[in-house]
Amino acid sequence: MAVDLKALSEFLQKGRAKEVTELVQQALDEGMSAKVILHDGLMDGMNIIGVKFKNNEVFVPEVLIAARAMNMGTAILKPFLAEAGEVATGKVILGTVKGDLHDIGKNLVGMMMEGKGLEVIDLGTDVSADRYVEEAIKHEANIIACSALLTTTMTQMKAVVEKAEAAGIRDKVKIMIGGAPVTDSYCASIGADYYTADASSAAQTAVEICSA
Amino acid sequence: MTGKERIYAVLQGKETDKTPWVPFAGVHSGKLKGYSAKEVSQSADKLFESLLEVNRLYKPDGQPVMFDLQIEAEIMGCDLVWAEDAPPTVSSHPLAETPEIPDHIPGPEEGRLAMEIDVMQRMKAAVGDQSALYGLMCGPFTLASHLRGTNIFMDMILDPDYVHRLLSYTTDVAIRLSEYFIDAGMDVIAAVDPLISQISPDHFSEFMHAPFSRLFDAIRARGAYSSFFVCGNATMNIEPMCKTGPDSLSVDENVSLADAKKVTDSYDVVIGGNIPLTSVMLFGNQQDNMKSTVDLIDSVTPGRLIIAPGCDMPYDIPVENTIAIEQAVHETDSVRDMVKNYESAGLEFTGELPDYAHLERPLIEVFTLDSATCAACTYMLATALDAKEHFGDAIDVIEYKYTSPENIARCGAMGVKQLPSIYINGELTYSSLIPSRDELAAQISKYL
Repeated sequence: MAVDLKALSEFLQKGRAKEVTELVQQALDEGMSAKVILHDGLMDGMNIIGVKFKNNEVFVPEVLIAARAMNMGTAILKPFLAEAGEVATGKVILGTVKGDLHDIGKNLVGMMMEGKGLEVIDLGTDVSADRYVEEAIKHEANIIACSALLTTTMTQMKAVVEKAEAAGIRDKVKIMIGGAPVTDSYCASIGADYYTADASSAAQTAVEICSA
Repeated sequence: MTGKERIYAVLQGKETDKTPWVPFAGVHSGKLKGYSAKEVSQSADKLFESLLEVNRLYKPDGQPVMFDLQIEAEIMGCDLVWAEDAPPTVSSHPLAETPEIPDHIPGPEEGRLAMEIDVMQRMKAAVGDQSALYGLMCGPFTLASHLRGTNIFMDMILDPDYVHRLLSYTTDVAIRLSEYFIDAGMDVIAAVDPLISQISPDHFSEFMHAPFSRLFDAIRARGAYSSFFVCGNATMNIEPMCKTGPDSLSVDENVSLADAKKVTDSYDVVIGGNIPLTSVMLFGNQQDNMKSTVDLIDSVTPGRLIIAPGCDMPYDIPVENTIAIEQAVHETDSVRDMVKNYESAGLEFTGELPDYAHLERPLIEVFTLDSATCAACTYMLATALDAKEHFGDAIDVIEYKYTSPENIARCGAMGVKQLPSIYINGELTYSSLIPSRDELAAQISKYL
């Protein structure tokens, strides 16, 4: 019997990694294209989790466990996707700003963005403004995404905007910011491009930027 | 009523003469005395001196001694990264790669607990009759996450038994700390657990209900009051939190205080909150803070209420903003009137502005909300009047209060953005920040 991609999506939403990997393998064995399995099965599930997270219906543990299943599923698909010439829809440089080690939110953003088919270059925590810009140039990224939890570190975001300007890449890269103390008006005041309030909206905005 | 009586009364479900106010001045206290966050986090003397200044300037009914969730974690082997303008951050998680559960409970002489308890005792002796003192500890879930790292979230699904055991241990630690704090004279013991907002109500019931109930029972049994602090959007967990039996809850601006209060009222739990830390306290001006506080008080049903910042105050919050909040909490009616004027923008100025280019002598114009009732305005005007006394007839000083339509329109015509402000010869010289007498005199001398 053909693999039901809706069932795959539902297993992913529940974080059932074992069932997800089994169904992905079975679908491949049945000749289904890796791209279809990825989009209609895995990404579909991750998108639903993203929306539920945004709506306060699921929380951090559920997102992390779903993302773990997603990663195990995509690991199986990767060679087939590469073979089929499937490329990421955009590149994102991601990290928490200098002096900030709080990365739960940043990690969720990364997972959601990957779940939407973006290539995420995760620089980790405590990332200097210079480093964001260097990596953006090196990878020809579409987006620099900065996260901060602290009111004292969020000011580093301004330095990222300034460094990007100084490096002459400001017209090539959009700067997204987020984190508990960050607001729309702060985003406007430092000349960044987008503020999003949660991981799901961040991923959605990133996709829109890259497909614009 | 003294502040302490007010906090006790509200926690006992009794009426208070004024709404109680608890400014969460953690490392921000250091700013008042010119000490860095690191200095007040490590030196008992500097912390004590700073806390007394908080007590004097912010007139708290209740006051925390330290707002530092890393003290236990540091003793238990987590590395910390220190900052000059923020509390330290945990940078390593000793249990990240091991399923072992420690059994060591920190003693009162270990790490920075010794300093914390010392300052608690000193504060008790200095202001303990007047102000209720809050002893804050890292909540069991956040402490577990310090030890385990973010793996704790996946453990909740993949290895629930491990999470139960780890939380049982961190609750033992919290209970022991509450004993030290109560013995040092703390009136209210708060478990500060920001990560509670990141889990579902089902997970809360499964993992958190028993540990937190045990903690609050232990605090009650030892004769103190308890509070449960959370940060982030904990809307879904307000009810499960109430069910663990704390005397009070404290939430930040991600939660609607009015909605949450309906829940806490039904459980006879006092709610505290939730003046926005960044948009209002850090980046707003005094009017914003007054308005925000009055609106907050007006948004909720009376009683069972403590007004507090959403969470630990950022180091750099302007002192004037916190003074403004204190006034709005304790003198809500008069501040509500002031705020009304603040809102009546768009009045046309029909008078004439001075011919600033051709003045006979320097003109010092002080724009205030109302120097009779706004504390910061009083200081600003007093500084200007000091200058008048010093320079005598060589200068003119005039105050415009933001209480008449004419003066409001004048502020508009002058482009006054912040109150109080001082303009010299039509030029904005001090905005919101009050100059010292010498500073102002030096400025005026330039125009003589």
